[in-house]
Amino acid sequence: MITITPRTSAGWQAQLAAYVLALLLGFGASALLITASGASVSEGFGALYEGAFGSWEAVLQSLVAATPLIFTGLATVIAFRAEIWSIGQEGQMFAGAMCGYWASLYLGGAPWLIAIPIIILAAMVGGGALGGLCGWLKTRFSVNEIISTVMLNYVVVYLLSYLLAGGPWTAEGSTSYHQTPVFDENFHLPLLVGSVKLHIGFPLALAAAAVCWVIIKKTPLGFEIRALGFNPTALRFKGVNVTRTVLIVMCLSGALSALAGVSEIFGVNYRLRGDVMAGLGFTGIIVGMIGGLNPIGAVIAALLFGALANGSLYMSVLSDIPPSLVPAMQGILLLFFLSASVLVRYSISIVRPVHV
Amino acid sequence: MSELLAPDILMSIITAAMGVATVILLAALGELVTERSGIWNMGVEGTMLFGCLIAYLVMAETGSPVLAAMVAMASGLAAGLLIGVMTVTLRVDHFVTGLGFNLLASGLTLFWFRSYVGGGKPPGYSTINEFPVPLLSDIPVIGPILFDQHLLTYAAFLSVPFIAFFLRRTTYGLETRAAGENPQFLEAKGLSVATRQYSALLFGSALTALGGAFLMMAFADQFRPDISGGRGWLAIVAVIAGNWRPVRTMIAVLIFAFLDSVAVHAQGVGVDIPYQFFLMLPYVASILLLVMIRSRSGQPAKLGVPYLKH
Repeated sequence: MITITPRTSAGWQAQLAAYVLALLLGFGASALLITASGASVSEGFGALYEGAFGSWEAVLQSLVAATPLIFTGLATVIAFRAEIWSIGQEGQMFAGAMCGYWASLYLGGAPWLIAIPIIILAAMVGGGALGGLCGWLKTRFSVNEIISTVMLNYVVVYLLSYLLAGGPWTAEGSTSYHQTPVFDENFHLPLLVGSVKLHIGFPLALAAAAVCWVIIKKTPLGFEIRALGFNPTALRFKGVNVTRTVLIVMCLSGALSALAGVSEIFGVNYRLRGDVMAGLGFTGIIVGMIGGLNPIGAVIAALLFGALANGSLYMSVLSDIPPSLVPAMQGILLLFFLSASVLVRYSISIVRPVHV
Repeated sequence: MSELLAPDILMSIITAAMGVATVILLAALGELVTERSGIWNMGVEGTMLFGCLIAYLVMAETGSPVLAAMVAMASGLAAGLLIGVMTVTLRVDHFVTGLGFNLLASGLTLFWFRSYVGGGKPPGYSTINEFPVPLLSDIPVIGPILFDQHLLTYAAFLSVPFIAFFLRRTTYGLETRAAGENPQFLEAKGLSVATRQYSALLFGSALTALGGAFLMMAFADQFRPDISGGRGWLAIVAVIAGNWRPVRTMIAVLIFAFLDSVAVHAQGVGVDIPYQFFLMLPYVASILLLVMIRSRSGQPAKLGVPYLKH
């Protein structure tokens, strides 16, 4: 029979080997999927690689695609580290973009140096408030955060749909597309490279990752977050206000998700529309988990997934493989990574039953 | 607003709500049994989505609802098995497994659907018909609501007492509950916790996938991405709000189904409130329901706690 026993820690070589294996198995399973759908594996993966890393422009474009994923990945890391299973990244990202847009309506001809910080701040307040609401429901009414965040995701999506389709924010003459008019140039996030839309959101995301790392590793709040995951009761006995910690974590997570919305709407699309953000919050959950709930790991995972997302556009043009392969691949990769994390945490051994 | 309260519209809303309730109730009953065994299965939405896609593919290919329902249930078994391997055997966290599975389902169903359609127009089929019970369906008011429904609707509501009986009176039902309350006790008696958890998961996931298949066959002639639209999550809420009891869970399901049905009718009637606000109703109600009903006395003691043999 197979027995599983917990072990204290595996060496980093074993961990690395487990995760590389998970990556290979994930790509292997994806190759099977492509074959099953009747397309050519080498052609598909070739185009995927070409689109993601094939040229300098492709690489920069992959960084652009990775930017919102770093934010939603970090939002996941902060919440999950505290064992708060928030799935609200998607809704909080939408809420952030919506609040940022709302603020921009009052900014008129303000120069970008004033307008952009206000937009970012408004978005963070909006996303943070939505996250905080779920934290409040959890601490005050013991409403499970998974349920509240999922339900509020749907509520926010319908709210945006109302605002853009016939509501007050609908663009003149765009009945078929649900979107606002294009923003004034002073609301665009400044670009770092002229030819590709690599905007200040990317360095901001890296900075956010560094801040998250410092918070988790070096501050009293970080200690509380980590302890919340291990043993909330002991934390309470130490005199820590657990309710407050949960609220802070949820607000922080919501504010980070909101930045993903700002980055996508004000950095890339220059108009508010829902479909361009759809899925970035959920992918952030995968990014955070595959990154081992570590801010640096989340950045690496986000870069990988940004490249996948960017490469898939190229792939869908060059081969018969639908771009919807990418979310399927992400899901498969996640399940393999989760299994690999078990291999790291437990030692599995096959024990022959002893016959007497 | 008052248009919705006109007698014939209200009748239509309630009659349609029974159909919507079928989808959520099947999943909720499956989840109830699963959670009673100690597995907090968060993969309900994904399992339902697989049921939807499989039912669509089989209906589009063969047009046979019976075959579609059976293959969909088989896909539910596969989903339950995968979740079981992750949670029961490998002891991955129940929440994380469920999240991962849902994301996989969302991506994989979309990929399969796009590959199947291949850029062309997705094939459709005619949705299945109601099965009016002779005589009883002629009773005014009650007849159309209770006795002019789909076969699966009758089956879903009839299974509420059966599942209550299974959990309270049968040996295997009691053992399943013991797996969620006191697995050491079960193990000490020489009975396998894993077997009971696997069987609960397989049963629950098959029922959930059947709910998805029904959603597809009765309400839509074409698959679309994430067509389950959060109804799997509503099933989980119904179990919590129902305090892990079958009849109370059914009542919670009926509330969600009514609001869902109101939303659909509000679009048709042309109320001056934007329809999106009606669509939000079930999701807002689910949170309010959990805020109001705070009793957790029925929650299995070891729900969501991976069991490690000592």
